[in-house]
Amino acid sequence: MTASWKQLFFQILLLVFCRHINTKTPGPTPPPLAPSGPLPTDVRSVVLKGESQTEKVEVVNQVNLTLECTWAGNRDKQPNITGLWRKDGDEIENSLLTVQLENEQYNLKRVFNIVSEENLGNYSCLFGNEARIDFVLAAPHMGEVRDKPIVGYVGDTAVILCKMEESKPKPSTWNWYRMNGTDKEQILPAAEPHRYEIKNQAEKTKLLVHNLTEADSGLYYCAAVYPISTTMGHVELKVITFFEPLKPFIAIVVEVIILVAAILLYERSRSKKNYAAGNETNDQSNTLTQGENNGLEGSSSMRQRKV
Amino acid sequence: MRKPPQAPGRHVTSRHRQQQAETQKMSPAPADELGFKPLDGGWGWVVVFGAHISIGFAYSTPKVLSIFFKEIQEDLGASFSEIALISSIMLAAMYAGGPVSSVLVKRYGSRPVVMLGGLMCGVSMVTASFGNSIIYLYLCIGIIGGCGLSLNLNASLTIISKYFLARRPLANGLAMAGSPVFLCFVAPLNQYLLVKFGWRGSLLILGGLMLNCCVAGALMRPVVPPSKPSACTLQKKVEEQPNDCNTKLKRSWMKNAKKFLDVSFFKDRGFVIYLIGSVMFIFGAYAPIVFLPAYAINQGVEEYSAAYLLSIMGFVDMFVRPGTGLVANSKWIRPRIQYFFSFAVAFNGTCHLLCPLMKSYALLVVYAVFFGVSFGMVFALIFECLMDLMGNQRFPSAVGLVTILECFPMLLGPPAAGFLVDISHDYKYLFLMCGSVITTGGVFLFIMNIYNYHMLKKEKTAKDREQNGGAMADQVEMKRTPEAEMERTEPEAEDGAQGDACPEDVETPN
Repeated sequence: MTASWKQLFFQILLLVFCRHINTKTPGPTPPPLAPSGPLPTDVRSVVLKGESQTEKVEVVNQVNLTLECTWAGNRDKQPNITGLWRKDGDEIENSLLTVQLENEQYNLKRVFNIVSEENLGNYSCLFGNEARIDFVLAAPHMGEVRDKPIVGYVGDTAVILCKMEESKPKPSTWNWYRMNGTDKEQILPAAEPHRYEIKNQAEKTKLLVHNLTEADSGLYYCAAVYPISTTMGHVELKVITFFEPLKPFIAIVVEVIILVAAILLYERSRSKKNYAAGNETNDQSNTLTQGENNGLEGSSSMRQRKV
Repeated sequence: MRKPPQAPGRHVTSRHRQQQAETQKMSPAPADELGFKPLDGGWGWVVVFGAHISIGFAYSTPKVLSIFFKEIQEDLGASFSEIALISSIMLAAMYAGGPVSSVLVKRYGSRPVVMLGGLMCGVSMVTASFGNSIIYLYLCIGIIGGCGLSLNLNASLTIISKYFLARRPLANGLAMAGSPVFLCFVAPLNQYLLVKFGWRGSLLILGGLMLNCCVAGALMRPVVPPSKPSACTLQKKVEEQPNDCNTKLKRSWMKNAKKFLDVSFFKDRGFVIYLIGSVMFIFGAYAPIVFLPAYAINQGVEEYSAAYLLSIMGFVDMFVRPGTGLVANSKWIRPRIQYFFSFAVAFNGTCHLLCPLMKSYALLVVYAVFFGVSFGMVFALIFECLMDLMGNQRFPSAVGLVTILECFPMLLGPPAAGFLVDISHDYKYLFLMCGSVITTGGVFLFIMNIYNYHMLKKEKTAKDREQNGGAMADQVEMKRTPEAEMERTEPEAEDGAQGDACPEDVETPN
């Protein structure tokens, strides 16, 4: 009796410890759920054209996935061929079998239990050494990830946006993380409501960072959480002070002022020279510019007179 | 040598007729508008450079601002159509500010107006960089920026018409080339600034760059007609600087202010023809540019290559505008410039009509090249033809009136085309509509110009016949007027001395 109570006590301790361990490590994946009831089933079949082919499979929920490979064979169609399944390059145990030629085709089929992130990956069915079909099982990825950094100003508010395409399945929730040293640390707006704000919509999420400081620069990770796994995207935030663009601006303004002053001064000095020269030669001189002089002296059919 | 009294009259008439014939060949505008001969070179080329900068900023800024829109949209949380309205408000203000700009240019001359325009644009961008709401951006960039640009545009065109006559098409072509050149340089610059400083810093620096319009304005030295101010009351109309005859100027300025929009222009047949043609062109001109990348992507071209089509068009445009100016300046084309303009408009329309046949990327590139060529030709000539029609005196008010009327088709064109795409789900109807409207405009211009020139010739021969009959009587009368001195000096003028109206000039041999 005491032994079983001790066992129970240890089991409880283990549970408590396990829960602690789970919350301490900032792992983005949720712990694998115990399947409640029979899993849904799905089938993916591919008919091979050529030597090898890759098929992307989007997995959102836990599923019993049947992968089916069909190959028409090569020129000498042997009655038997070895079929093999691999996951991420490693041979799956007990998957090697002999495939019979039926209806001029070789067929390989296997059911996989996809319940957690470890079950995702690259599954391949191989026909001997000649033909191969790859199935890439993964949670939906974010297509439009911004590669250029977002620029924010000190004291201003920055808006960081992450979006999953409309065509892809929507995540159950979104999480935000920040790089802290080498770990990703989750951003919880509840802890600092005046600094962070998260606005979630089904297919996109916005992180607002108020009262920016230069320390806020760095990588921010948005995580789209699906029952099976989580996909991450990252955006870089750069915080600069207002003086950074102000320096080129002031340089340009100074250049403009110098040029305008130079042009106007040059013009005034030239007109003074003209006026002085004109005064010396004739009292009734015209206020001509040099060009006008030349133009008027030349005869031309363009001359227009008031008659 | 003095000739008998009758002879000057005869000489005056024949010479007058010869001159009128020559200038009439050049343009339908009245030939006696300028009291002085424009420079056609020298400092004029520096002025063209200034106009190039000014016009370049005016046309390229509303287009390149769209690079910032995505960032502004994310930051301010506005919808895409709200953001796109900024560009539309800026373009609308730029075109609608035409009449105000005309009045200011006629009163103060081009230089102060362009400098004020550059200052307004700079200030608008700088204040916009601090904005936090979309309405604030509408006010700063849209209204203040747009008004600044309209001052720039009108004043730059006017000063070209003051400095050039014989080489005016070339000068216009070179100045209008500013638009594609600036688009080519400012667009990548904006991308770089956006990545480095974000949209606020970029707007700040863009505002600084627009202050360079003030430098362009400083280069636009006012034209001083070659005469003593006090004696020549006739020269007043063309003088740019206020002088002793201030009171007379003030009176004319008030008259101008009362009629911001000079509706007497509508009585001018040539003006109405030009207006209808250019309105039809503007209606269909901008929609293909807006929708070309989307159409290309629809035909299966990848996104990067589709955007490249517009760059090809802009690059071709850059060289075609001065080239067209050069061609239009030649002695075969210059007298027939209105026909050349109508040909360019019809060519543009035909390109659009043929676009739905272009299904592959190579053919789309060919279309982009021809589109660039025709677009450049039209825009190089569009203001030159107006100058040709209206002459120097009426050009500032005419261009103000034309731009404010062009505001409507410009704002209605792309949304109408977009609506057509939405209901038909096919881009070809857009191109067919734009192409047909523009081609109709071109053909209309061509036919109506034939009619106009025919009517002008008829009117001119009628007037000449009248003048010949009344020349004898006129000559006797002229001797009795205060300008008798001018008449007496006619024989000396014929000897090749300066032919200005003021007596003092002729009496002092140079």
